[in-house]
Amino acid sequence: MAKKVVAVIKLALTAGKANPAPPVGPALGQHGVNIMMFCKEYNARTADQAGTVIPVEISVFEDRSFTFVLKTPPASVLICKAAGIERGSNEPNKKKIGQISRAQLQEIAQTKMPDLNANDIEAAMKIVAGTARNMGVTVVD
Amino acid sequence: MTNTWCELQIVCDSVLEETVFWQLDQFGFRGMASEKKGDLRLIRAYLPLQEVQTADLAALQQQLSENAASMGVAAPELHQRSLDEEDWANSWKQYWHPQEIGDRFLINPAWLPTPDTRRLILRLDPGVAFGTGNHQTTQLCLEALEAHINSEAVIADIGCGSGILSIAALLLGASKVYAVDVDPLAVQSTVNNGELNSIKPECLIVEQGSVERLVSLVPAPVDGIVCNILAEVIIKLIPQWNAIAHASTWGILSGILVSQAQAVNETLNQHGWCITSQLQKQDWCCLNIRRA
Repeated sequence: MAKKVVAVIKLALTAGKANPAPPVGPALGQHGVNIMMFCKEYNARTADQAGTVIPVEISVFEDRSFTFVLKTPPASVLICKAAGIERGSNEPNKKKIGQISRAQLQEIAQTKMPDLNANDIEAAMKIVAGTARNMGVTVVD
Repeated sequence: MTNTWCELQIVCDSVLEETVFWQLDQFGFRGMASEKKGDLRLIRAYLPLQEVQTADLAALQQQLSENAASMGVAAPELHQRSLDEEDWANSWKQYWHPQEIGDRFLINPAWLPTPDTRRLILRLDPGVAFGTGNHQTTQLCLEALEAHINSEAVIADIGCGSGILSIAALLLGASKVYAVDVDPLAVQSTVNNGELNSIKPECLIVEQGSVERLVSLVPAPVDGIVCNILAEVIIKLIPQWNAIAHASTWGILSGILVSQAQAVNETLNQHGWCITSQLQKQDWCCLNIRRA
């Protein structure tokens, strides 16, 4: 139908656990979005990935209806998984806590490509490498 | 006692979004929301106020500035405000009210009691999929349907969204509606809203897809076509409509800006259709069409 988008909102939520508490309530409520319907739909579509952070991008239309698409897991989650670590470094400049190969970097960039503001794989790799650096994870050849 | 939340607002370059999400997670924030503001992102993060320590926020600010510098973008701006807990599960409902449309319809949010009225009550659980009755194009289509529907009419609803137009057609007396939408959320929404209005499933056939799906779905040409999408999409779909239309099939088209009506008209003429009347609300119009 006549879809004029008035807001695009991305939420980082744990699969299967969306509820009206922040960030969902304040972020969507201000647009008059049916919050319980969103939570129900999101939880149903992510139930099989419980425990993982599955970002979701919600488009709110002029008539307060909405649609949403699930996005790829955050780069930080993919980097931790590739590096075999649980968390990033608190002092990324001084304390390096893991490393990933260039091939792994490319794989993560490829996964994240649809969601990144990048025109090509090189630009996507640059963004992911920046996130890795900020986490104290080194990219090695 | 009401809980109070700390809402942290961060305006940053889009390339920094992933890093900011990660840093906020590291700092213990519970859930983040990001809204596009041109090339920038407005990120909101939340934490119960009693868990916020000023020193933490200063450290976060410093960390994010360093992250931004390492990625060659401007340092993010941080703002903080407190937010009282409210009943978010229900507070969004304040935006929704019963709405009279045309001469015959009353769109009633599903959670409200059924009002005493002589109008046709169309119950909707507004949310997923376009078509809540709030938009001019939906209103124009509903008004046009009032003038077109006679009993026994078989209708095709292309881009059914919430199903509002399909259900309206059935409430007006149509015998059957074939509804399609490329969005699976819309398909489910139409089914749900059909049930909400006690529509018999055999009267409302809903499938995912577009005109090509309708071609295989309808056993015979339909009497009316309703299509409220967008002008550019409608222009692409018009050539396919002959496959589901007979000599006296009519159509109601909307989602068309007044400035786009001429382009739609040209395509209609090229494929054996003509406009019989045009309704307008603000910038949007609705075209009533028939076979030329």
